[in-house]
Amino acid sequence: MNAVILPVIQALFVLAIAPLLTGIIRKLKAWMQSRRGPPLLQPYYDLYKLFRKDSVVSKDSSWMTTVAPYVCMTAMLVAALLVPVFVTESMGFMGDLIVVVYLFAMARLFMALAALDAGSTFGGMGSSREMLVSSLVEPTILLAIFTTALIAGTTNLGGISSAIASSGLDLVRPALFLAFAGFFIAVLAENARVPFDNPATHLELTMIHEGMLLEYSGKQLALMEWSSMTKLALFTVIAWNAFFPWGIALEAQPLPLLIGIVVIVAKMLVLVFAIALIESSIAKMRLFRLPNLLTGSLLLAFLAVMTFYVL
Amino acid sequence: MLELLVAIPIVSALLCYLAGTRRAMEVCSALGTGVLLAVSIALGVQVFGVGAIYEGTLFLDSFGAFALVIVAFIGLMTSLYSIGYMGREHEEGEFPLGRLRLYYALLNGFIFTMVLVTVSNNLGVMWIAIEGTTLASAFLVGFYNRETSLEAAWKYVIICSVGITLALLGIILAYASSTKIPGIEATALDWTTLMNVAPQLDPTLLKVAFIMVLVGYGTKVGLAPMHTWLPDAHSQAPTPVSALLSGVLLNCAMYGILRLHLITSASIGPGFSGTLLLAFGVLSLAVAAIFIILARDYKRLLAYSSIEHMGIIAIGFGIGGPFGVLGGLLHMLNHAVTKSMLFFTSGNILLRFKTKAMEEVRGLGTSMPLTALFLVLGALAITGSPPFSIFISEFTVVYGGLQQGQYIVVGLMLLFLVVIFAAFLWHVLRMVFGNGAKDKERGEVSRSNLAIIAAMMIIAILFGLYLPDFLGHALDAVVHLFQGAVP
Amino acid sequence: MASLLETNLVNGLAALVMLAAFMMVASSRMQSLVRTFALQSLALGALAASVAYLTGAEHIYIVAALTIGIKAIAIPRFLSYVMERINVQREVEKIVHTPTSLLVCAGLAVLAYYVAAPIIEQGTVITRNAMALSLGVVLIGLFMMISRRKAMSQVIGLLCMENGLFMAAISATYGMPLIVELGIFFDVLVLVIIVGMLAFRINRTFDSLDTSFMRRLRE
Repeated sequence: MNAVILPVIQALFVLAIAPLLTGIIRKLKAWMQSRRGPPLLQPYYDLYKLFRKDSVVSKDSSWMTTVAPYVCMTAMLVAALLVPVFVTESMGFMGDLIVVVYLFAMARLFMALAALDAGSTFGGMGSSREMLVSSLVEPTILLAIFTTALIAGTTNLGGISSAIASSGLDLVRPALFLAFAGFFIAVLAENARVPFDNPATHLELTMIHEGMLLEYSGKQLALMEWSSMTKLALFTVIAWNAFFPWGIALEAQPLPLLIGIVVIVAKMLVLVFAIALIESSIAKMRLFRLPNLLTGSLLLAFLAVMTFYVL
Repeated sequence: MLELLVAIPIVSALLCYLAGTRRAMEVCSALGTGVLLAVSIALGVQVFGVGAIYEGTLFLDSFGAFALVIVAFIGLMTSLYSIGYMGREHEEGEFPLGRLRLYYALLNGFIFTMVLVTVSNNLGVMWIAIEGTTLASAFLVGFYNRETSLEAAWKYVIICSVGITLALLGIILAYASSTKIPGIEATALDWTTLMNVAPQLDPTLLKVAFIMVLVGYGTKVGLAPMHTWLPDAHSQAPTPVSALLSGVLLNCAMYGILRLHLITSASIGPGFSGTLLLAFGVLSLAVAAIFIILARDYKRLLAYSSIEHMGIIAIGFGIGGPFGVLGGLLHMLNHAVTKSMLFFTSGNILLRFKTKAMEEVRGLGTSMPLTALFLVLGALAITGSPPFSIFISEFTVVYGGLQQGQYIVVGLMLLFLVVIFAAFLWHVLRMVFGNGAKDKERGEVSRSNLAIIAAMMIIAILFGLYLPDFLGHALDAVVHLFQGAVP
Repeated sequence: MASLLETNLVNGLAALVMLAAFMMVASSRMQSLVRTFALQSLALGALAASVAYLTGAEHIYIVAALTIGIKAIAIPRFLSYVMERINVQREVEKIVHTPTSLLVCAGLAVLAYYVAAPIIEQGTVITRNAMALSLGVVLIGLFMMISRRKAMSQVIGLLCMENGLFMAAISATYGMPLIVELGIFFDVLVLVIIVGMLAFRINRTFDSLDTSFMRRLRE
């Protein structure tokens, strides 16, 4: 019973907390820029507003535009079921880290295709840029998480976090830090954060992620936004629980569960703070410079695998 | 005793730097190198008569003494030649007295580093000395501060430093190959120690070490394909420095390779290192042959000839056996003497014609008859004609090769030697014969220079006809060292 | 066998040295190149110091101090001074672009691993695993020299090679006898000074440090 209920609770938890994370990032950025910023719960209000509005769909679009938001949201839901959040039990029997990565990839694919669907130029630009970034980011993510899988000896995300958490400091190696560095850059890239993409921009010519959402409205837009926020939340969870999972509940007892919840919330806040800090201090990079940074992060992940074998 | 030897060039470098007048500098330098030669010969006599001198980090055995005397002799000749040559350039206003002082100080410093190479026991100290030769000669190569000199100096420093860094990796690996042997920790980098424990050294590490040292020091020797700095550096440097570089520095770098070759031979037999030496030697000969045909600048021509001869030395030692080694050793001596002599002759031409392009040097026979004579004789000597010494050493190498059954190598070597002979003489004879420009003054440039050149020519002919007893004994001792190294 | 913490410390520092080599290849500004080199030398000094601490060999402390003093402080200061005096342009001019260079260097690192594998097996010291990384750093330094146009970046490539070598010495044999190490440091210092002086003269003559201008000496 635990094996089903706990993952469902974890997934709902992530879904619920995702917009709050986005709100916190925006608030932190505003504070760092000496502004007051929007209310913390603003994303919730936005989602609520959007769900009640009508959708306008271009008559040149096909079934892809209607289907894509649901596919993205479903992918995020399923991924949330597979990722250990505050307890190491997840529905890992359904899939392991490779499935999670490819769920993200599937969501991205549908988003890109749907952007092309409406036939507008900005959508096309957004799609092609997204594909450019993702061609370098996917190998990085895979290699980085694969390093942890090598260290822990399993590709099941729950298994990885329980292996590393229960062995104290024994499994800590330089490879872990290198992989985390590469993964963090990939987190920034996947979630359309500075220096890859400015999430607050309204200049269509500079958009990557936002550009793909231009054609949506109403319920579909709400679903797409929510799935992006969930993706961010899931990435922060994976960043902690695959690399430095100490604090996670190893068994489904009340006390460890409580500790696990507190710890994961704290960790998420730390990572979110780091992202806000980076967004406020670095400028967005020009598009043709992105491969440099991405290759660098790919290299970090590659080095992680190599030092795992060599050292 | 060996410390005294090493101290002499340092002291003369200091004295030259502190000297006030030009005459003082020249005397200091000449005296310093003269004393060095005397001490070297004395030590050499002791080594060949009694036995090797062992003083811990410094060490002199037959091979070292042989190389040392070559260094000292060519050092003296260069010092004497510099008096005439650099003196003349200074009089013509090419550079001020301060730079001349720097020149003599650096010259003696350069000689110091080369002496240190030949007497060091510790492989690490030998490495430091070889790197020291690059550093000491860097500003000598770029002495004239022209665009071309700076380019040559830059390439020289960068390429040789890269090579030497790789050689250091080789030495580290050689050191690492001895870590499993207990009890020798403190002196494990000493050549004598490594020779003693050679059969117990780790073969894989030693092989990799030799490859790195061959490529690394081979860069300094000028073996192809690491030779690209050599024509530039040797042609842009002042002529006496070119003689030192070509004649002696290449020998010292080869000395470094051969010390490790001895260790490797003692450990796993001469086959591995010998084959590698052969390969690089033949390649160097081929590359040199091609570029000698294409040469348009006579100092570059001589530089490519140095690459050729270093290739022959490598082939000699690669062939191995008593005659191969004897040929290689003789060639080190003969090449040093003959190449320096040729560079000195070209220095005379440069003083008069002010250009290094062979196109513009014509009618040398009529305008500078003695120089032209020495040039032609030198060309014959360097390409291996009897009755000169180079013929004897090349013949010995060929004989050794045939004896060891290396027919292909010998065949290739003879082919390239013939090509080089033809091309070299073609270039030289074009310079000598024909009518020169009418407005060039006639007459020799410098009597003293000619005297030096004549003296060296006599030596070259002498060794070509007859090998004096003491030299024969000395060479026997060194060959014995190489033969004895084979398990 | 050394404890896990000790091995991790040593290996972590070795990984940092290699990471710094990659960062040097990825640098696009001369100043950041020099600073990354200083970082690499600092990590190297720390590595030497920790080896000295773990094995109790005192002479390695001196070597570590020299590394930090000369390579991490003196030489970068000197190079920055030279670059300032010459007014070197801030961009590192590359012949091979960054993503390609980084991938090539990754390939070189793999190559170094394969070459070093037999050597690692024979080793007895606690740092033997770092041998593959050291060879990788040497190869990356060599690549840096080939693929950069500016004279100064070639020099830094050479110094990176020397760093890799020093790490190889530590990882194979706990460093070499003290006299040799001292001599090597002295040589490196003199080399950098000579190169600096040459760079001054080159700049005065050619009015730039771009080595592709130096093409006068040809057949």
